[in-house]
This record gives sequence, C-alpha cells and structure tokens, in this order.
Amino acid sequence: MRWMLVLLLAAGASGQTRHNLHACVVNAKSWVTGAKLAASGLIRLDETQGVEQLGFVHPMILAADYDRRDPSVLYLAAGNGLIRATDGGRTWRITTGWDVTELRDVTVDPNAPGTVYFTHTAGIHRTTDGGATWQPADQGIDGKYCETIQADRARAGRVVAGCVNGVFLTEDGGASWRRTGAEGIQVRRVAQSPHRPQEWLAGTQMAGLLRSTDGGRTWEAAGDVAVERNLYDIAFDPAQPGRIALAGWGTGVLVSEDNGKTWERRGQGLPRWDIWSVTFDPGRPGRLYANVHEEALYVSEDAGRTWRNAGFDGAVIYRLHFFPEAAR
Amino acid sequence: MIPLLFAFLLAAPPDYPARAREIIQHHARPASLETAGYGTIAAKLRLKEDPEWCSRRLIEILKAGPTGDMFWMFPVTAVAYTGRDQLSPEAWQALREAWRTYMPFRGDTENHWLLYYTSMYLMAQMWPDQPGEAWFNGKSSAENFKESEEWIHWWVDMTTRRGQGEYDCTHYIGVFLLPMSYLAEWAEDPIIRKKARMMLDYIIADYAAEQIEGIYAGSHARTDDRQVVEKWAGVSSDFGWLLFGLGYHTPGYGGYPLYYVLASSYQPPEILQRIAKDRPDGVLHKETKRTRHRWRFHEERNGDVYKTTYLRHDYVVGSDQGGLLQPVQQHSWDVTWRVADPRGVHNTLFTLHPYSGLLELQAYFTFAPDSATEVVYRSKKSYDSPDKLLGGSPYEQIFQDRDTVIALYDIAPGARFPHINGFFSKDLTMVTEDPSGWIFARGGDAWIAYRPLAPYSWKPIEGGGRRLFSPHLKNGAIVQVASAREFRSLDAFRAAVTRLPLEVRLEPTPSVRFRTLRGAEMHCTYGAPRDFSSWKLFDGPFLKAERGSRMLELRHGTMRRVLDFNTLTVRDE
Repeated sequence: MRWMLVLLLAAGASGQTRHNLHACVVNAKSWVTGAKLAASGLIRLDETQGVEQLGFVHPMILAADYDRRDPSVLYLAAGNGLIRATDGGRTWRITTGWDVTELRDVTVDPNAPGTVYFTHTAGIHRTTDGGATWQPADQGIDGKYCETIQADRARAGRVVAGCVNGVFLTEDGGASWRRTGAEGIQVRRVAQSPHRPQEWLAGTQMAGLLRSTDGGRTWEAAGDVAVERNLYDIAFDPAQPGRIALAGWGTGVLVSEDNGKTWERRGQGLPRWDIWSVTFDPGRPGRLYANVHEEALYVSEDAGRTWRNAGFDGAVIYRLHFFPEAAR
Repeated sequence: MIPLLFAFLLAAPPDYPARAREIIQHHARPASLETAGYGTIAAKLRLKEDPEWCSRRLIEILKAGPTGDMFWMFPVTAVAYTGRDQLSPEAWQALREAWRTYMPFRGDTENHWLLYYTSMYLMAQMWPDQPGEAWFNGKSSAENFKESEEWIHWWVDMTTRRGQGEYDCTHYIGVFLLPMSYLAEWAEDPIIRKKARMMLDYIIADYAAEQIEGIYAGSHARTDDRQVVEKWAGVSSDFGWLLFGLGYHTPGYGGYPLYYVLASSYQPPEILQRIAKDRPDGVLHKETKRTRHRWRFHEERNGDVYKTTYLRHDYVVGSDQGGLLQPVQQHSWDVTWRVADPRGVHNTLFTLHPYSGLLELQAYFTFAPDSATEVVYRSKKSYDSPDKLLGGSPYEQIFQDRDTVIALYDIAPGARFPHINGFFSKDLTMVTEDPSGWIFARGGDAWIAYRPLAPYSWKPIEGGGRRLFSPHLKNGAIVQVASAREFRSLDAFRAAVTRLPLEVRLEPTPSVRFRTLRGAEMHCTYGAPRDFSSWKLFDGPFLKAERGSRMLELRHGTMRRVLDFNTLTVRDE
C-alpha cells in the first residue's frame, strides 16, 4: 500500500518534462562486507513502471547524475568504481579500474558534453569522453579525500568540490583547483541555487552552513544554523525561489523560506531527527522527500511541515535525485 | 631403541601432504550433505568424488542466489578449477551465469581486493575472449584479466618494497596465503605463477620468524577479541599446523586452509621449516610494515610500522611503535609465553589505551561522522567499549629492547575513555603486588615483571583473568621478562628486577629511564623524536631485506634462499 502511495507521489506532474525519483539506497542495518544484502543500490520510483531496482544490488551507490544529451544514461558513484548505466540505468559498465575506490559523488557538466567528474577517497577524476577514459583532475587540492562535487550549470569547466580540508573551485575543467573557503573543515555537500547561479551553499562537518554569492569564489558562514552538527544534504526548491531544505544529524529537516536568512525545523511525523538526504519534487510544488536514518523515506506535501512514511523501511538513502523522464 | 623409534614415529605429526589430505577429506565428507556448501563441493572435486552430486549441489546453491561478495568469489573459483573436467554442462552454465548476474562488492581492504582480483584473474583466464555483456561489471574478459593482473603486480611490488599493509594478521594471514596459492597453481602465465610461489615463501617466512609453536606472536595489524587473549585460537594456528606441523589446528581446520590446499602444490621449502622450528634461544627480529590506506588526516597514504619481536624458547615479546596504525583491530604489543597445550589458555600479557573515535574511523574508512561508530560496532562489538582489549590508540607510544617493553600513554583530556587497560591472564601464576611498585608473575616458564606508572585497580574479565584499570591520563607500564631458567625463584627474579635503576616522570609528559635486565639503558619520553631511519624491511638472523629492495634473503645456518622480485628469481645456496 505504501508503495502505491510512493508511486503516485513520485511521478512528477509538471506538464512539461516528467521527472522520476532515483534513490541511492543501502539497506545495511545488519550488513557487513560479505553478508547478504537487502535491496540496495539505485532504485527508481516511477509512476508506470513501479519501484524498480536499476541494475545490480550494490552496497555503495552514493550519488548519481544523468547525461544531459541522453537522459537514459546515468553515471553512478559506487563502491566498485564509476558506473555508466545505460538503458535508463539498467545496464551497467564499470568504467574505472583499480586506481580509484569508494566513490563519493558524481556530477555531469551540463555545458560540456561528455564531461563528468567524480570525487573519491583520494581526489577527483574527470572524463571528457563520456566515461571511456578517466584522468586525475585534482591538482591544487590538499587533503585529497573529496566528498562532494557539483558542476556549475552556468559555465562549462567551473566546478565546486567539498573535500576534507575545505571547499575548492576550478574554472578550467579540473586542470587546477584553489581552496576558496572552509580551510580545516570537512565539507560534506555543495549545492548551487537553481534560481541564482552565483549562489552556492556548502554543508559541513561540525561547522554549519557556508554561503557563496559569487559563484564559489568566496565563502562565509550562513548564520549559525547547524553549527556543531553535521550537514549531509542541501536542496533548493526549483519551484519556489527562496525555499531551501537542509538534512543533518540531530537537526531534523531544516527549511528556510527566505533564502537562508532564517531556518525552521520541520519534523512533525518524523521518527527521529537524523536525516541523510532531502530533495524537492520539481513537478509538485511543496513536495519534499527526506530519508530518516534507518527508518524510512518520508514525504511531505507542505514543504516539510508534516510528513508521512513513503516506504524503504530500515534504509539509509544517501542521495535522492530527480532525473528527467527520458531517462527511461 | 627400536620401540623408542616406533613410539617417536607414532607421536610425530603427519607430514605436509598427509596434513593437506586430512583437511580436504574432512571437508569432502561432512556429517551431512544437505547443507554442504562450496567447500565440500570443491573438496570432493579435488578428490574426484561424486561429480554428479557436486554439479547438482552447485546448481542448487547458485539458484538460491550468490551472496558474500569477494568471499563468494574465491570458493566458486576453487570449484571452477577443481571441477574443470568434472562438472556437468548445466553446472557450468549456472556458474557462468552467476558471474554475469551477481555483482560482488570489491570491498575496502587489501585482503578483499586480493580475493577479488585473484578470482577475477583466474575466471577471466578460464573464460577468455568474452564480451563485457558476459560479466557483471560490463568489462570484457581481456579487460578484467588486465586490470586484475595489474593490481596483483602492484600489490606484490608494494609489499616487497614497503611491507605488507595488513601485516601479520592472525586471521587474515589466510586471506593472503590463499590467493597466492591459487595463482601459484592455476595461473597459466609462468610469471604470475612464479611470483605467487615467491610470495608464498615471503608471507610464510614472515610468519615463521615470529611464531612460537604456531602461535603468531607480537604486534598484529589485525586480530580479534578472542585471539588477542587466547593466542592459539585462530587461522594462523591452522597454518602453523598445516605448514610446519606445529601446535594445534582449530576445530574443523578452519575454512581458509581448505582453499589453500585445494590449489597448492606448493610446500614450504626446507629453509622455512628450519626457521619455524629450529632457532636459538634469543632471536631479535625487526621489520617494517605499512599502515592500511589512510584516506584522511595524513599527508602520506601509507605510513610505516616499525615492529620488534624478540623470541626466546619460553616466550616472545613483540611490539610496534604505537599510535593508530590500523583501524579497530590493531594489537600493538604483548608478551606471549609458551605452553604445552595452548587451547583455552590465555598465554599473554599487554596493556592498551581503549581508543574509540572519528580520528581513526575517518582516517581509514569513508564513514560519515555520525554513524561510523554504530556501523563498526555491528561487526566489531568491542570497538566502543571502555573495557576492550583490542585496538590502537593515538595516545600510546611503545619502546622495546629485547625482552623489555615500555609503553607510555599521554591521553588527551576529553578522550572518550580516559584510562588504560592491562590484561592479566587467568593463567598467570604467582601474581604478587610487590611493595616496590612492581607486579611479579609467572606465565608458563617466563617470569614477568610489570611496573604500572600510575595508580590502578583490578576489574574482573568475563572469561577469566583481571583487567588492570588505571584512570590517569599520564600513564604507562614497564614490562621485563626473563626465562624461568635464568632465575631459580620468583624471589630471585624480584631481587634482580628491583635492583635495576629506574626513574619515572609523568609530568609534563611521561618519561622513563630504565636499565634492563640485559644491561640496556632505555630512556623513553612520550612525544620525543624517534629515529627509525636505519630500520630495514626485515632485519634478523633469519630474514634480511632492505627497504625498497623488492628482495628478501632467508637464512638458516649455512642455508640461504634469496627471493628477488626484480629479476623474478629464487637463488638457493
């Protein structure tokens, strides 16, 4: 029954391009390497196809992005490497070798066809040929472990990455990076506003939220939200400028309606306040999804004020992505 | 004379081929076949027994769905190679399909990767010229073969230049021996085959030089909550028994030795037998190992581990330099004494600071900060316990001169567990808290003197023994060991130790000046610079290797064997 609800909810209805929710799931409550793993990996919630495990069960799919030229091609940041998933995510090929492991995040440069970046335990890699070949692209980053990466949708070759020792910016397609903020701080998520491309946010480990209003060139503390907490995800509402949601540990879902000036904890109906991921539905204004640590996926129709269980009981969902319908 | 010889022959352990056969037969003929797994199938195939049942059972198991990641890959690889000319076409089809439809996780440790890439290498060799669609990862046979081969070469190179990453593990030694065994027998490439045989020499030599009756002694990258106190109880003892006929194997022979002997025509050469079983009383062995990959907080991905092991007939004292060298299961130092039958015996003594924290978990793993400890706890129950007896600490530094160890602790204020634990075995005898401040005891035929540097109390340990609990941030212990043959009584040992000059200072940082029973002057200060620049990859009477050399020289008496990975040659003298 819950799945039916999820299916009905998950299909966007914007009247234009439909988007479907893709969840990077691990059902690992009692799992250690080598043990039997419940449904985990990339799971799609689709109005007509239902809930579908895309490709293999895998314990470590941490993020995904889609090819802007062909949305049926997905790139997955996985434990075993960078997976290029065709046929809407169903057919997998690991495109990397033994030189990288335990990938953390992936981003497609929307203005540079075939260019994809991923972060991993020891830096950043880039492809310019759709994943056929990869090269290290982390010159200038000290402390190579990088958790998060986002290509600037406004200009090719501009990319922001969050690493173990700060937030870094490249403006030459990864050939060189410079730290632009958060020195000495682990950055766990970076995100670009869909409304104001110069505006970025960075969620950190124990240092709150950082804001950049100049395209990632400089950063400053965005108030005192979630300081001494760990922020795991950031979501801008694509339909409502000024509305932003944060996911963090012990924070619940924090929502701002004034572009981050003030924040409200919205958690009525959530079983605990340890949140891994949040995302707004681009086709349903006000609809917000959040994963509560090893509880379930939750959905809100009122921008987080009230929530209800939407399935995936017991799961951790590291990322929630909406990809265009053409990804089928 | 003849009856005596006869009795000796009866008492002698079986030779290597007989021991290997014993293991295979044990697994091939379980009490019930209903729940038999890959091990039984592979063992039966190795003995060429009942291939029809093997085929049927293999199909049944695969139909239920593979699980186990790389721990699935290595058993089915053994089944494939032992069953090459025996499995039915239907069984082959099921096996082939499994490698297309099940994606094993590659894992996050070198032992995981060695199992993964060895299995990939051999299966790609078995099924060459197949397209990416035939494999779970979408790569062709040629691509899988090449990637696996490259990583295996990288691992051998790294190990023979910088030392093993998961070094001297009481359990995971099996997971390193097993892939080398597979490759030594089943690889078609003579280079890989030879390299694997040389790595078997290499890993086994490392173990042979640091064991006492098959018990892996001293510092380990990884051990577990049981074997850290019951030193015999693990895989390393299975291999001590299998390879050298030393000590006792665990019940059922463990799992890893089966897969090892399924493949291996390799037998430890005579020189390894001698190193393991024939050594003088008082061997000082030093070596350099490598930390596991450190993803965060360190400039260098793999740090150096400097190990010292001093082996006498009656006991072994071993240590590393202290610090967080491995995650979760590090064991930094101990005294291990010889016992006639170690089963159920806690024949060891050590201390540690029970560290638990993100500095460790985020350095070695990709964990998010809030769930890291919880995730580790699920498989390593003691990790976040103040009572634990396993694990390294950033607040521990260790100094060793032969059979003297000085462990110093400078625990940061605010550390989760602001105390040290000392393990005092149920099997120690004559434990005496002396007015001098020393604690004296006897373990087997070893006298042990333990000097706590800060006040302590005793707490019981489930399973026997006592935990020395000392809740002071500036802390430490001095341990001096001697053979019972050197001192006729505890009083004589006590008199000798209490006469030794000793100065202790705990502020501002712990510092000890001590003249050992062997006459060495040890002056140890927590945090003071230490010079390991002359430390070699292996340095002892039996093993010699320079850092970066890709070579290892084995010595025993007039015998020499030089493993040269630069030229891929073995030179015996």
